[in-house]
Amino acid sequence: MKIFFYKSLVVMFLFLLTFHFSFNYAYKKIGNIINDTFSKDKIESIKNKLRSEAKSAINKEVYINSKDAEIINKFLDKIKSDLKRNN
Amino acid sequence: MNHSLINNKNSLFLLIFYFFAVFFGLYIFKDYGIHIEEKFHRLNGHFWLNYISQIFNFNELQFLTEKKISEIRDYTLSQVSYYNKYGSIFDISVAYIEIIFNLNNINQIYYYKHLLSYLIFLVGSFFFFKILELRYKNFYLNFLGLFLYITTPRVFGDSFLYKDTLFLSFFSITIYFFIKSIKKPNNTNLIFFCFFSAIAFSLKIFLILIPFLFFLILIIENFHNKNSYYYFKIFLFYSFFFIFFTFIIWPYLWSDPLKNFLNLFSSVRGDLINVRILFSNEYIQNRLLPTNYLFNWIFISSPLFQNFLFFIGLSYCGARIVRRFLSVKEKMIFNDFWRSDKEQIDFIIFLVFFSYISFFIFFNAPFYNGWRLVYFLNLFIVYFAIYSLEKLLIYQKRKKKLIFFPLFIPMIVIFILNNLNSLISYHPFQSIYFNNFLNKETINGYEGDYYGLSSKHFFEKILEIDKRDNIKIAVASHTPLQRGLEAFPTDMQERFSIIGQDYRNADYIYKNNISEVNIKLNNKYEIPQNFSKIYDFKIKKLLVYEIFKSNL
Repeated sequence: MKIFFYKSLVVMFLFLLTFHFSFNYAYKKIGNIINDTFSKDKIESIKNKLRSEAKSAINKEVYINSKDAEIINKFLDKIKSDLKRNN
Repeated sequence: MNHSLINNKNSLFLLIFYFFAVFFGLYIFKDYGIHIEEKFHRLNGHFWLNYISQIFNFNELQFLTEKKISEIRDYTLSQVSYYNKYGSIFDISVAYIEIIFNLNNINQIYYYKHLLSYLIFLVGSFFFFKILELRYKNFYLNFLGLFLYITTPRVFGDSFLYKDTLFLSFFSITIYFFIKSIKKPNNTNLIFFCFFSAIAFSLKIFLILIPFLFFLILIIENFHNKNSYYYFKIFLFYSFFFIFFTFIIWPYLWSDPLKNFLNLFSSVRGDLINVRILFSNEYIQNRLLPTNYLFNWIFISSPLFQNFLFFIGLSYCGARIVRRFLSVKEKMIFNDFWRSDKEQIDFIIFLVFFSYISFFIFFNAPFYNGWRLVYFLNLFIVYFAIYSLEKLLIYQKRKKKLIFFPLFIPMIVIFILNNLNSLISYHPFQSIYFNNFLNKETINGYEGDYYGLSSKHFFEKILEIDKRDNIKIAVASHTPLQRGLEAFPTDMQERFSIIGQDYRNADYIYKNNISEVNIKLNNKYEIPQNFSKIYDFKIKKLLVYEIFKSNL
């Protein structure tokens, strides 16, 4: 009885230890990755990045080069014509 | 071995030590600032005193507490009716003293609360000394243990702030009566054990492990003595009075004892704060802490020699217990885990420490503000530090060689001087002590002044440099700075307007490294470019706070 009792305690402890260093460890690691990727702070930092990019775009004399501007223009025209056709 | 406080010369020495400790406390207790949770605790005390007065129809007391509650306002203050599970015995006592003695000066109320907290800490330290006395016959070793227990810098600094060292004090008393109840389970010892367990449980619910560990020790005793009925009776007696005292001293349980008791455990995850904390230069979620969080904090914020001795003592004691465990047989002449009364105490202390550490790690305890929630572990740290010193002395006696002796006394003197030096150089900020052997980057990569104690220092500094009647202060930190204003008389308080993160209208900005957001990604606490740093307050390598002034 005594030996069984002590063995049970050891088994329980080893179970918790294994659980901690397997599932619990993975849970924390994934949790931290998710938190870091989708956190409010991360979104805030992306917003700040966008703001600073927009500011620098305003200050530049030419932000989109002529080739890109041509492609974007054609692309927008294409969308417009498709929308008109479907109306 | 009992210390009569009249006959023994060692007792006289102890008495003189405590006399100086009290005198010292009286001399310095007003140096500590007002911490950010003082207001909540004052409100907590009056809330529950009001509740008691309603139940017992103490109309005058009810009127007075309602008046006090209406006066305690702060837009950042948590509602006691929601956060109602915090143990209130200390807060109620202080609220009652406030009413009985008609104390109206808020900062005086807080300062006397600090003093009372320190005196309770000294009482707790005396019981720690009694634990050592049960274990070791060497008075000087026991006294060294008492000295280290009191002068561990973070614990000493916190002893005035009645949060976590209050639990440490009651925990020490509980452990003393735990050991006494195992050695001599008479009614007196058991009643005291139940009573102090109940108080400690009301302060921090994780004390609930103690009844289970008590039961476990009784089972181990029973394996040897084979008297199940006797031990079961002891446990029933303990359980009954533990529940009884818990109910008596905790008004939260009165309205619906069983439901509220179960709520304590079911709501623990939801009620604890969920924030990002600065740990090793990274902002991490406090519910996803790494396994080494506690060990890391204890190592960097306790004196190095204490950590070293603790580690040696714990390893030695642990190895012996494992050896005993491996040699357990179904029938044995001795007890399974101990051969003497002294070993039994070692086993109890080791078991309690090991159980708590395992519990915190396995159940992902969400810590914050360093290791303050578990300052009660200081009892084990000092116990095992003294244990290793005792083993060193025994080794020396056995070998009959004075190998360590020439080193022993200077080593002890260095330990004592190191602690004293830390207490003096950090005063009154011992609660944010860091190990002096760490470099500046490491130290500042951890949370610093989480209690906002530096607010007092900050306001004094501002008053020194700015004589205007209306000074606007913005806060680039998660610290509710306005609460620190209560350390000053009302006329001084009125000179300051705390405007949160409205930096554009601020004259000065207060900044420390406490943040609930990741400041590497979030610019919530970023200092605007039209402000420049005019002052920073450092203690050794630790940057406590900075002041920025508007250039406009």
